[in-house]
Amino acid sequence: MSKSLLVISRQAPWSGPSAREALDIVLAGGAFDLPIGLLFLDDGVFQLATSQDAKAVQQKDLSANLQALSLFGIDDVFACRHSLNERGLVSPASAQPLSSEQIHEMIDRYEQVITL
Amino acid sequence: MSTLHVVSHSPFTDSRLNSCLRLCGAQDAILLCGDGAYALQAASAPFQALQAKGLKVFVLAEDSQARNLPVPAWADSVDYPAFVQLSINYDKVNTWL
Repeated sequence: MSKSLLVISRQAPWSGPSAREALDIVLAGGAFDLPIGLLFLDDGVFQLATSQDAKAVQQKDLSANLQALSLFGIDDVFACRHSLNERGLVSPASAQPLSSEQIHEMIDRYEQVITL
Repeated sequence: MSTLHVVSHSPFTDSRLNSCLRLCGAQDAILLCGDGAYALQAASAPFQALQAKGLKVFVLAEDSQARNLPVPAWADSVDYPAFVQLSINYDKVNTWL
């Protein structure tokens, strides 16, 4: 049995390669059927905002990668409720909001954690 | 399950330490290195937040020494071999890259 992996993505979508890389790790893990979870934390929750326009900053759209998560069998997609509230974002359809206490329990549960 | 959280960014420019403190459990510990060591700046907000949380706090000795940051009684100074030993002692390591 593979070790379970939690990827915590905490960078805004257009501030560097981190957001895309975190998604790539998760999708690659999904392709190999690893038990993998994804949590959006801090500015990472901005990746979940709707109607973003990557072309305006000459970047590739991340929303296709986000939509691919379920196709790759990744259903454990979460967002930090505190980070969402702080930024005035409503709970996104694509990620389940969790309290700080729930996130702590989740980090405990996974065998490995990567924070990007 | 216990987690060692490694924080290497200054708490004054960045939210890593704050988020880490928010998500830490009682069994967890924080290891400060690089500019993360500035969290031990006496009387600062991160210093007080760390102290109030009451977690185990470690700091890489060379980083606190380089920055002339006295290590308070509630924190422990570690060298690199001790850093490696800590990463073995805890169930997992979460590095806040």
